[in-house]
Amino acid sequence: MTNSMNNNVAEILEKAKKLFDVRVEDIAERQHKLIAENDKTIPLLAFLKESGYSHLSILTCIDWIEEKRFELVYILFNWSNGVTLLVSTFIDRDKPVFYTVKDMWPTAEYYERDVHEFFGVEFEGNERCRLPLFLELWNDLPPLRKDFDPLKFSKEHFPDREYEKDAIHEAKIIRADLEDTRGDING
Amino acid sequence: MDERSVWEKIADQLRSRSMWMLHYCTGCGAVELPPSMTSRFDMERLGMGPMATPRQADILLITGYLSVKTLRRVIYTYEKMADPKYVIGFGSCTINGGIYFDSYSTINRLDYYLPVDLYIAGCMPRPEAILNAFNTLMEMIRKGEANGWKRYKENYEWYKQNQLRSLGEVIVHDEFHE
Repeated sequence: MTNSMNNNVAEILEKAKKLFDVRVEDIAERQHKLIAENDKTIPLLAFLKESGYSHLSILTCIDWIEEKRFELVYILFNWSNGVTLLVSTFIDRDKPVFYTVKDMWPTAEYYERDVHEFFGVEFEGNERCRLPLFLELWNDLPPLRKDFDPLKFSKEHFPDREYEKDAIHEAKIIRADLEDTRGDING
Repeated sequence: MDERSVWEKIADQLRSRSMWMLHYCTGCGAVELPPSMTSRFDMERLGMGPMATPRQADILLITGYLSVKTLRRVIYTYEKMADPKYVIGFGSCTINGGIYFDSYSTINRLDYYLPVDLYIAGCMPRPEAILNAFNTLMEMIRKGEANGWKRYKENYEWYKQNQLRSLGEVIVHDEFHE
């Protein structure tokens, strides 16, 4: 990476700090995380898109259940210098509402539907966000929330195979520790 | 199961010698099919080949885990196949859920929803195991033991209830078809 590019990244981060009041964490040489306030996130994203970080790699969500908040992470990529910026913002877990970015990135519509389906976050302005994408006829808690119990759900909806055999007993028979008194193992 | 006429016995001999398997690759087991089909193991010497449409296929392979969303389509596909039809379940996911035993979107056992003629154990089964299973299936067809399609007809209510219990509704509602 050339010097000018390094400067360019540092310059943009400085500007973002000044204009949008963000906290910057350096993850790696070409990866930086910008933590923004709720109301400044959309202008920050617009600013970064203008500055060359035009590719929205993904929009995803993290459930911080103990802090009672969701973290929305927008991952932006710059194709000219290979720098990745993670823009993150925190929203209330009990009333998870945020604004859509589908007008900036049309692909975001699907990421937002995905986040809505798996975490229950509403995106204002994305009227298609409630359509089912992967989970058809889902009527439970969003499955990637930490308070959702997948094992319980699986037990209720998808019956297990019931085994009558005692696997350890059979292993002992195979190892010739025990004499086979229960007939054919494969039967 | 029931008495077979001579003509059925002859038909079974013929059926076991030309099997078209449906190319509906669910889950990760499908990666074992290209090596089974290509020159090293050469599945076609057994009289088996891939077929693109359900209406002309004989075997439905459930290769690995089956999500709820896919199961709806698989049931559609299975019901569109002409009799006689055979189902093979690949790997531990179709037998007891495998590593997806606690998943919110993956079914735990396949024979609860569709009649399975043969399971192949393993995660994933090697091509040798797959060819062995196909040989076994052919043997079963010749003996008249592979009658999952009859079981499905006879116990249709039971299968339907199980499908409804896990899926809620079998009808596919999605934005690309409506």
